Amino acid sequence: MRLSFWEILKRSKEGPILEEKEFDLLIFKKTQELQKKYGIKYDPNNPLDLEGTLSDRIYQAGWELFLDIGTYCTTTKRVIRVSEEELRHEIEACPESIWLGQGEDRVQMRHRDVEGEQEPIVIAGIQTAPFSDEEMMFIISKGCAMDRCIDGIWGGILLKIDGKYEVVAGTPSEIFQYKKTAEILRKAINAAGRPGMIIINNAPTSTATIAMFDEERGLRRTDYMEVTGISELKVSYDDLNRTSFALAYGVPIHGSHSATIGGFSATPEGAAITAVAGSFQLIAVQKAESFRCGVIDSRIKSRVTRAQLWAAGSAIQGLNRNTKLIVDGNIGDHPAAGPGTKQYFYEAAAGFIVSTVMGGHSTEGTRKFVVGNICNYGTPLESRWMGEICKGAVGMTRKEADRIVKYLLSKYEDKLKNAPEGETFEKLYDQETLKPLPHYQQMYEEVKEEFKQIGFKFKEA
Amino acid sequence: MELLNVQQEEKELLEALKEAIVEIDSERAKEIAKKIVNQKFDPLWAIKYSIAEAAKIVGNRFEDGEIYLPHLVMAGDIMEEVGAILEKNIPSEQIQRKKRIVIATVQGDVHSVGKNLVAVMLRAGGFEVHDLGVDVMSTTIIQKAKEINADMIALSSLLTTTMPYQKEVIDDLISMGIREKFKVMIGGGPVTREYAESIGADGYGKDAVEAVEEAKKLLG
Repeated sequence: MRLSFWEILKRSKEGPILEEKEFDLLIFKKTQELQKKYGIKYDPNNPLDLEGTLSDRIYQAGWELFLDIGTYCTTTKRVIRVSEEELRHEIEACPESIWLGQGEDRVQMRHRDVEGEQEPIVIAGIQTAPFSDEEMMFIISKGCAMDRCIDGIWGGILLKIDGKYEVVAGTPSEIFQYKKTAEILRKAINAAGRPGMIIINNAPTSTATIAMFDEERGLRRTDYMEVTGISELKVSYDDLNRTSFALAYGVPIHGSHSATIGGFSATPEGAAITAVAGSFQLIAVQKAESFRCGVIDSRIKSRVTRAQLWAAGSAIQGLNRNTKLIVDGNIGDHPAAGPGTKQYFYEAAAGFIVSTVMGGHSTEGTRKFVVGNICNYGTPLESRWMGEICKGAVGMTRKEADRIVKYLLSKYEDKLKNAPEGETFEKLYDQETLKPLPHYQQMYEEVKEEFKQIGFKFKEA
Repeated sequence: MELLNVQQEEKELLEALKEAIVEIDSERAKEIAKKIVNQKFDPLWAIKYSIAEAAKIVGNRFEDGEIYLPHLVMAGDIMEEVGAILEKNIPSEQIQRKKRIVIATVQGDVHSVGKNLVAVMLRAGGFEVHDLGVDVMSTTIIQKAKEINADMIALSSLLTTTMPYQKEVIDDLISMGIREKFKVMIGGGPVTREYAESIGADGYGKDAVEAVEEAKKLLG
């Protein structure tokens, strides 16, 4: 039986009081101690743990970290602790598979093994990016949904109401506009002929996120509620509001937490340990049934540096070797390069290959790391690429993945800090036919051919 | 900075204090600071040389990836503790008031990583930083800036839909007739220099290192 959410809430009000800074420094001290205790060492020459024994030690260290320091509630300034027995029960009680979507578009999201043959669920779309207007959001989302190699799509933001009133988080405009985005997503998947497809969106506040659930016009019980943990190992009551609503409404909870290289986890080793601990937080505190085990780097605006691939990949591998949980990897979702550049394809592929081979799903969409307020900064082709890579990497060995990832790193690693910006949808796609413009199509085909040459096996459509 | 006209013994203590801060050895740093005071050496030198030079070294090491955020936090704490020991022994008229910065992630936004980095780097850069945390209302930020007589307000936003709150702070300062009292610097993932200029901010930092340079430029 899972630990009651109301017990968690009680602990958030009665747990030990601690200054946030003290908690942050505890993460640092403890992760430093654990990496020594478990002999965890990042070797840049080996961005993937090929044996899995190092990942097992990272898993053990993450277990100890979570039990030792717990989760910090930023609202109450208290620490929520879970006992070893409770965590064990929590993991045992988590489902090994869940169903998402409806009708012909219904899919089963299962626990995946490392190098496993289980199909990864791919939820693409230009995640949480701004769109210029409703029409453009509809067109781009429809284009993404039409691709059969993906199982669901994410939505984004409409920056203005009626083209002139600014949308601001935490104000009535946010609720109205996010509800609108969910309606557009539903219309887009209907128009794409996939009415039961999964649609996801996540607003800055819980109020607006909750408002998107509407069985007829918005997100449904067969989609999922995204709950996020604050980096690192923290939650607020706004985060817990999402859990509370999801439990009452009966929608699956998908968690997301990112450990930070250069943050309080400090090193890649520390971030790998915290990524595992953050995953335990998502299931034990935030009641997730599936979760994204993520790693960011505070100094580089990309999720696929060599150290990130190692840290996230090892944490995902550790979780999948030691539990039957449903782990989302999605490492390639935020390339530094923009759409319309070869670097975008290389970066995204490196992350999605590692994620898939280590037993992860990829359900957090895809887009350039920083889009700012530039609208329509992505196309359906990047979603197709995400699907093709994730599905193509199924069954690949870690050794094969390691070879390909090293090749990809050689293509983009030294260009992350000054990555090419790329282009918006308007410059890359024909809006009438919803097909890439010839120059973009050619670039995509060239990259695809290059991947075939290096031994990546795409699945037949 | 060179240590001219300083006795050998004093010089050694000043160097040792700098090293202790860089090595994040709190106890040793405090012990040396007390020794400087007890031996009647000029504590101003320790502030101007040991702390300032240590801050530079720590900042560079962070930039080069040799140390991480927790090290910066701990080094910042030591600098404050040591500074307090030294300042007690300096006549108040000789103490140069540090430039004060109020920093926060704006309302509706709980992203803390970038803001924390900037806060710590500013502290290491010699500023007195008041970090109000995340999801902070514009009125709270302004109230704090007024209360401590801040020189600058630094605002972080990681979401497109929370960027308007950066503008709100500036607009509120204007309507309260106190815009000229504070420099305003903004930053965060989606924020650009163009956006900063468009809302009337005085400065912009694309990352923590640039934010410190910008703050130094704006506050002199």
